[in-house]
Amino acid sequence: MNLYEYEAKSIFSQFGINIPPGMRVTKPEELRKVFFGYPLTLKCQVLSGGRGKAGGIKFARDLKEGEALAKQLLEMTIGGSRTESLLVEPKVAIARELYLSVTLDREQGCPIFIGSAEGGIEIESSANVVTVPIPYPYQPYVARDLAKRMGLSGNLLSKVADLATRLYNCFEKMDLDLAEVNPLVVTEGEEVVALDGKIIANDDSLGRQPYFKGWQSKHLVDLSDRECRSRLMGLNLVELDGNIGILCNGAGLTMATMDMVKKFGGRPATFLDVGGGSDQEKTLFALEIVAENPNVDVILLNILGGITACDDVAGALVNFMKKSPESRLVVRLRGNNQEIAEKMLAESGLKLIPDLEPAVKEAIEKSRTLAGARN
Amino acid sequence: MILVNKDTKVIVQGATGKMGAAHTKRMLAYGTKIVGGVTPGKGGTTIHGVPVFDTVREAVDATGATASVIFVPPYLALDAGCEAAAAGIGLIVLITEGIPPQDTAKLVANTRARDVRLIGPNCPGIITPGETLLGILPGVIFKPGPVGMISRSGTLTYEIALVLSDAGHGQSTCVGVGGDPVKGMGYPELLSAFNDDPATEVIVLIGEIGGSAEEEAATFISERIKKPVVAYIAGQTAPPGKRMGHAGAIISGGKGTAESKMKALKAAGAHVATTPGEVVEMVTTARGQLLRT
Repeated sequence: MNLYEYEAKSIFSQFGINIPPGMRVTKPEELRKVFFGYPLTLKCQVLSGGRGKAGGIKFARDLKEGEALAKQLLEMTIGGSRTESLLVEPKVAIARELYLSVTLDREQGCPIFIGSAEGGIEIESSANVVTVPIPYPYQPYVARDLAKRMGLSGNLLSKVADLATRLYNCFEKMDLDLAEVNPLVVTEGEEVVALDGKIIANDDSLGRQPYFKGWQSKHLVDLSDRECRSRLMGLNLVELDGNIGILCNGAGLTMATMDMVKKFGGRPATFLDVGGGSDQEKTLFALEIVAENPNVDVILLNILGGITACDDVAGALVNFMKKSPESRLVVRLRGNNQEIAEKMLAESGLKLIPDLEPAVKEAIEKSRTLAGARN
Repeated sequence: MILVNKDTKVIVQGATGKMGAAHTKRMLAYGTKIVGGVTPGKGGTTIHGVPVFDTVREAVDATGATASVIFVPPYLALDAGCEAAAAGIGLIVLITEGIPPQDTAKLVANTRARDVRLIGPNCPGIITPGETLLGILPGVIFKPGPVGMISRSGTLTYEIALVLSDAGHGQSTCVGVGGDPVKGMGYPELLSAFNDDPATEVIVLIGEIGGSAEEEAATFISERIKKPVVAYIAGQTAPPGKRMGHAGAIISGGKGTAESKMKALKAAGAHVATTPGEVVEMVTTARGQLLRT
């Protein structure tokens, strides 16, 4: 779950990280209540990156200019993400910019600090980056080591190391995937301040983080309505631009089925992993949400039952076909209780295909016929 | 075969839960030597004829178990894994999906320090066909034979094992390492074990998009692996920036693409298939070449 900058900064401040004074604004006239002096920075609150380049950050010299800019910024959409509000802060006198983040390194299997003596950069493309693995349990010397390797010394080394330790505490206590300060600025008064903040909260940990309770639905704004509803049902749906809706059990098998459809000349419209031990209700929901997509001509259901019992899937199919014509369905079903499933579906006239490759080819064939009939 | 055989003594943590109980029954039916279950507070009872203990320590002392299969809920998995490692279990198979990745990182640190082998999390487990099954793989699909399999996926492993078995290529051992970004044992350790295993002729590696483990495996293969490797990467047509079902299956910042992985594996001398059907063809060819030499 990506958070807005103002939410990230509020969390940072609870862990003792310096942030600039700020105010969240949803209407231009709210600028009249701003409690700090001009010039001001106005920043679009969006969940996408590349905000600065897209013109989502502006400076205002007075209230009149501020209101005009606020009106304009509040209507912006950046990288598909609508501006939720503006964060208004006094313009900071910057002496130096740095970069600091904590994330999990999947290859090393542990959290790492990433630091750079250059701030405000795209960290992936910067050469001047140091990474330090963080052993468990945490000790603050790791942050001093990081600051030293970033080339810092004296008071600044201690201040940045202290902030890095706070950032790690925040990362661990809040179960984050990423805690990033970019840029971390050193002011002309030698203060170290998080000028921008980004947090990605870990989706699997939301259930044990009361702070984030109820946040998920308002942070799924970069997903389509169907993707969003699937997520809330615990299903992973990705919509693509073709006309064959693909549903499978298991992520790897769903990806492999999608790859095969493309390789043999078809066009996938959905990737939907219904999970390992799916029940009837979930499978029915999955079938319905794929059928709802107006681009879908054919639904390819591929179930290889290990944990998933084929008769449960067949039950969902029987219910689904009461509402939707079976002519759009191609079903590959194999595994536990296959014979029972076959009996349940015998009356419907739906043919079950036991092997994957023939099922994929049948779905492509059918998609061509149905797409042809539609045009 | 690697890691486990018919004599491996296994306990099940979370054996009295719904999923744990169902799979304890299936593992017993397959022939797995399950010597105990562990559920705090249910010590002294039995599940499918197997004694249940309150603690792993007690179970290990009473049974001499060396492996544990864990089915506990996600937020209890770190505790369960550390308990197993502290009690002297040498191999942990962590099935649970949805564990906070920072918990997994802490468990990985703990098991590494104790020299305990961890498989998973979010994995189907291990099967040595005809001998033993630790996890949730459907035993009936797998047949004994000379193909060693390592996979990041569950059902895709079943699919490929199915077409391999149908074509007469049985398996020595299949290991599902799991679909999470942070996990226990990875490709290098398992490739190395299969390379040393006399029962394995050909190694099948089933990867997917996300991370750089396959690229690192490629380097390891070119330097260390003498046996033929057939590789398959799922997600060849996945769009960037989208999480494809598994927590770890995501192309981010242009990194983790199937293309990059397939290229690295090809350069390392592995046979790289684009469909499960091609995996079978390549295993057939590799075994044919072994027969002639």
